[in-house]
Amino acid sequence: MIELDVHDVYKNFGGIQALNGVSFGIRGNELIGLIGPNGAGKTTLTNVLDGVYKPNQGEVMLNGRRISGLPPYEVARRGLGRTFQVTRAFRRMTVLENMLVPAMALHPAARQKDFHDQAMEVLEFLTIEHLAGEYARSLSGGQQKLLELGRLLMLDPDIIILDEPFAGVHPKLMETIYEYIMTVHEQGKAFIIISHDMDSIFTLSKRLLVLNYGELIADGDPKVVKEDPVVIEAYLGEEEEEGPTVIPARRLAISEETGEGDDA
Amino acid sequence: MNRSLLQWIMAGAALILVLAVPLLLSNYPYWLHVAIVGFFYAILASSWTLLAGHAGQFSFGHMAFMAIAAYTTGILGRDLGLPPVAGIIVGTLLSGFVGLIVGFLCLRLRRTYLALFTIAFSEILRLSLNSELDLTGGPNGLHLERLLETTSRVPYYYIMLGLLLASLAFMYWLARSRFGLFFRAIREDEEAAAAMGVHVVRYKIMVFVITSMIAGLAGAVEAHYIEFITPNILIIAQMSLVIAMAVIGGIESLVGAAIGAILVQFALEFLREIPLPEALMPWVVEMGPRLEAIGLGVGEHGILTNAWRLVVFGLVLMLTLRFARNGLIFPIIDRLFRQRARKETVAKRVQAGEVEP
Repeated sequence: MIELDVHDVYKNFGGIQALNGVSFGIRGNELIGLIGPNGAGKTTLTNVLDGVYKPNQGEVMLNGRRISGLPPYEVARRGLGRTFQVTRAFRRMTVLENMLVPAMALHPAARQKDFHDQAMEVLEFLTIEHLAGEYARSLSGGQQKLLELGRLLMLDPDIIILDEPFAGVHPKLMETIYEYIMTVHEQGKAFIIISHDMDSIFTLSKRLLVLNYGELIADGDPKVVKEDPVVIEAYLGEEEEEGPTVIPARRLAISEETGEGDDA
Repeated sequence: MNRSLLQWIMAGAALILVLAVPLLLSNYPYWLHVAIVGFFYAILASSWTLLAGHAGQFSFGHMAFMAIAAYTTGILGRDLGLPPVAGIIVGTLLSGFVGLIVGFLCLRLRRTYLALFTIAFSEILRLSLNSELDLTGGPNGLHLERLLETTSRVPYYYIMLGLLLASLAFMYWLARSRFGLFFRAIREDEEAAAAMGVHVVRYKIMVFVITSMIAGLAGAVEAHYIEFITPNILIIAQMSLVIAMAVIGGIESLVGAAIGAILVQFALEFLREIPLPEALMPWVVEMGPRLEAIGLGVGEHGILTNAWRLVVFGLVLMLTLRFARNGLIFPIIDRLFRQRARKETVAKRVQAGEVEP
């Protein structure tokens, strides 16, 4: 079974406390939504999990082994894959070559042609198999997003973090991404989906994490979390309130916090 | 005719032609010399293509690694009596070792910063070679032992051609393998490559070491052929020439860069003198002082272009960068040898039935 344990993680940049004692665990192929206002620390958390940042304090364990402090390539090989907020396909490489990079990184003894069939299957699943020979930069933004998702499958990770997979996505493409998530989820992979698209988050996720000012202020069933007054105040209420009141509301959320994130 | 058969025939014909050149040029040792120097630059340009075009490490220090090996074998030969072949091997290894250190220091440097760092490295080396009179001979240069006991240029032609073909074959294999895949992924996006499991540090250093050794090997052999080396080989203009050769050939194409280098080398020689009809020569001689005043000169059969010929290449380089990003040679090779050319087209988006949001 997939096991991820994030234990009391702190990360600060200079004086800014980006993550303030974040703890949670994943057991099995969970489908988790991660939300929070801009600057709440969602991407920082992704970067800590993925190895881009070393946490100042705390640790991350994947399947019983510590991954915090390991470089990103090592974390990727051990089973944690992620996409980036802005699509980052290898633009001057063909779609097929994009797909082969993770496969070759994961299997040092293999040859590229060993993975052609698998790569083509994944591309077919993502409806972009006809583009295999094209340069990634000639793909549309949406197609590049699909390519990134395909690349992840070639890495065959246990846990997949999708950073804003629905941002600027056409409804038809949205369906393809939904299908991707559900199919891959059923194959036994865990997902953490970061999104501002509440509809998608509530449709897809079975568990919701809410970050605010680097602290995890809620963790549980999306329906329950949705009703949590702290969450409403920090985030979901944002849309109903007028602009200027948002900032005091967030400040309130911090001062009222449960004390989970006391300074070390 | 079968397309791939045609390609093999063309490649075979080209190889036979290149191998037969010494027979055709045996009465023109000067042009043989130009060809040898052309092969030398071809090795430099194509290895720089691997480093900069494939792996995205836009280094201006390539000539420095070439010079390190050349000076190493020269100094070891002079002071320890090391035979040229042993000196070439030691020099090549040392170039690789310095490449390792520079590659390591450059790990966190991208693009402009890498370029500046490597320019500084190259300049420091040039100034050191200039001032270490006892060790390097300073600006007077260093004499090296001849590689072969012959005055004929023909063996050198085959040696340098062999080096070029061997290094091209090796780099071609490398570029086609997983290493090439990772090099290009690193060029495109280091973070994304790392997130896909690529050991970015290892492959960045690896490409520095490999290309430094190839440049070093070429430099050491060339130095034993010319029998002389000065720190001037490290001036920025020399590095720029290699870059111009690679860009004109095709910055992502090993063979394109090599052919580009050879063509540029020959063109530079052809452009030395603009030939004029005999009838005009008295007029040229009469105009002599005025020509010299603007940097031209009076030759035996026309006008000497001196440094002006480099201006031509500056212009060609600028036009290539602006209008032919794939270079001038690579598109031709691509058209002749690619079975199924991949076109950068957006036409297929429509086919996919997808509408951009």
